[in-house]
Amino acid sequence: MFEASLAKLIDDRPGDGVFRVSRAIFDDPALFDLEMKRIFEGGWVFLGLASQAPGPHDFFTTTVGRVPVLVSRDGQGQLAAFVNSCPHRGAMIAQTMCGHAKLHVCAYHSWSFDSAGRNKGIKWKNAGCYTPAFDGETHDLARLPAFADYKGFLFGSLVPTVPLADHLGEAAKLLDLVAEQSVDGMELVPGAVTFTYDGNWKLQLENCSDAYHFTSAHPSYIRLLEQRKEKPDEATIGSVWAENPAWSEEAEGIQGGSYSFPGGHVLNWGRMDVSPALPLYERAEELAERVGIARRDWMFSMRNLTIFPNLQVAENASSQLRVIRPLSSGRTEMRTWCLAPKGESNEARRQRIRQYEDFFNPSGMATPDDTVSYENCQRGFASRVEPWLQGYARGLGASKEGGNALSDSIGLQPARSVLADAQLCDETLFHSYYREWARRMAGELRA
Amino acid sequence: MTLTLAAAEALLTREALYLDRAQWDEWLGLYTEDAIFWMPAWRDELTLTEDPDRELSLIYYRGRRNLEDRVWRARSGLSVASAPRARSVHQVTNILVEADDRVTAAFAVHLFDKRAERTHSFFGRYDYRLARDDDGAWKIAAKKIILLNDTIPTVVDFYSV
Repeated sequence: MFEASLAKLIDDRPGDGVFRVSRAIFDDPALFDLEMKRIFEGGWVFLGLASQAPGPHDFFTTTVGRVPVLVSRDGQGQLAAFVNSCPHRGAMIAQTMCGHAKLHVCAYHSWSFDSAGRNKGIKWKNAGCYTPAFDGETHDLARLPAFADYKGFLFGSLVPTVPLADHLGEAAKLLDLVAEQSVDGMELVPGAVTFTYDGNWKLQLENCSDAYHFTSAHPSYIRLLEQRKEKPDEATIGSVWAENPAWSEEAEGIQGGSYSFPGGHVLNWGRMDVSPALPLYERAEELAERVGIARRDWMFSMRNLTIFPNLQVAENASSQLRVIRPLSSGRTEMRTWCLAPKGESNEARRQRIRQYEDFFNPSGMATPDDTVSYENCQRGFASRVEPWLQGYARGLGASKEGGNALSDSIGLQPARSVLADAQLCDETLFHSYYREWARRMAGELRA
Repeated sequence: MTLTLAAAEALLTREALYLDRAQWDEWLGLYTEDAIFWMPAWRDELTLTEDPDRELSLIYYRGRRNLEDRVWRARSGLSVASAPRARSVHQVTNILVEADDRVTAAFAVHLFDKRAERTHSFFGRYDYRLARDDDGAWKIAAKKIILLNDTIPTVVDFYSV
């Protein structure tokens, strides 16, 4: 039992208008071990896209918590997820990011497995003087106890858990806004970008949902886009950000807001028009017909979606799929891809990629200003002089139960919502993260 | 006049020095107006992306204007990631003139970020296409940076590869 009580880590008192989080949850290694056990290795996590293993016998590898995982499509096209570890001595079976294999042969002692994880051979079996007890055991790769495909988004769990539909809940409708941009589905643009930062994984969880930092952390990027707009030339790429009123501090009226859901899923959104600055524009009419005007318009709005605990889809000038992989309490790996509808034209794809690189890449002009800030936070988290952080209070007076007219327009029923002008910058959506965190950790911590 | 190894080496060494000393105006002056600056991403363990319009790059710019933007940002005082920048030394070796205007080289960039107390080395290969300007001086018309260790520790910028 961890010695700290939950009440010392998260101070959630709605009746008093108080929600505070302790610095300890970001930098305590003992809490990190519990997070691995209870959250990342104790329920649904995102594995990857079905399109990463497109054909029979294709596979890709990933991790769930600290555990290496193999996602493989068998000869009949059926996807499954396995612990990527030989039942014999534990060696990792598949050693590449992705590939094609009818037979996976362990490099250590040559035990072999087909693409459905079935053991196909134990070297020198007959000469091995095994006992009947050994023959009575399965020698197949261990299947993940839970695995499911939601419209091409693959999830798995290392423990038996609730059905995926129960985990996703209403937030599934926000994945629909991504998955249904093309009738053929979505694909990852070739070229994976991986970066690390010396900070806790929840810094990334929060930043994705944090409207407040944008004009503070990214003024260099915003100013550059303004300069490009003033003096455009053929060398530069126009960006939807430069056209976007939501990030102008002078913008009036409702510019965005947040929705939060049970299970720790949240959406932060900002108003964007159906604009030619977005690569989806070539599909605007087709989408309106196929999914309806309301859902089409939502597809064009800026949306930062977190499916707790490790999947984020950021859609704005381009589309990014992020997978958060915690390495330790003070270190995180981010695997990132540019996400695109299949069948996109060359011109739209080029626009999507150029805007992506400048904004999302660790070699670009925005993300480094986030990750360096995470590291500055992580250093500050060492303090316990005043353990409570004050970053969860904006919007407490505006958050309301249920949705609003905009969520109603697509039949979305969030647990809570905030409608915001350009400067409200809600922080109550983080509460959803930490209520789910508290729920998962409760079994290990005193109340 | 053909490109000599000595001329290629002088240009590449000069670029390295300008980057390490943050003489970015002089650095920009080494590039042609329509220069391509390209650092592809990796498709998998051993394959680079090849088509920057259909595949992702870490950086892809067509036109020096974009490099001017990066320099502006690095100096702007508006980017926490850009200041204080890491100290660096670019080591450029194995320089080879492969064709009339093509040069390849190996690089290692050693970085020390005082704020993070973090030392890192980026390494890889450069592929250059050079062009003569009106005065006969060699300029960089295209630079492709093949970054071999592409798990990025927090940040990589034009001056750190």
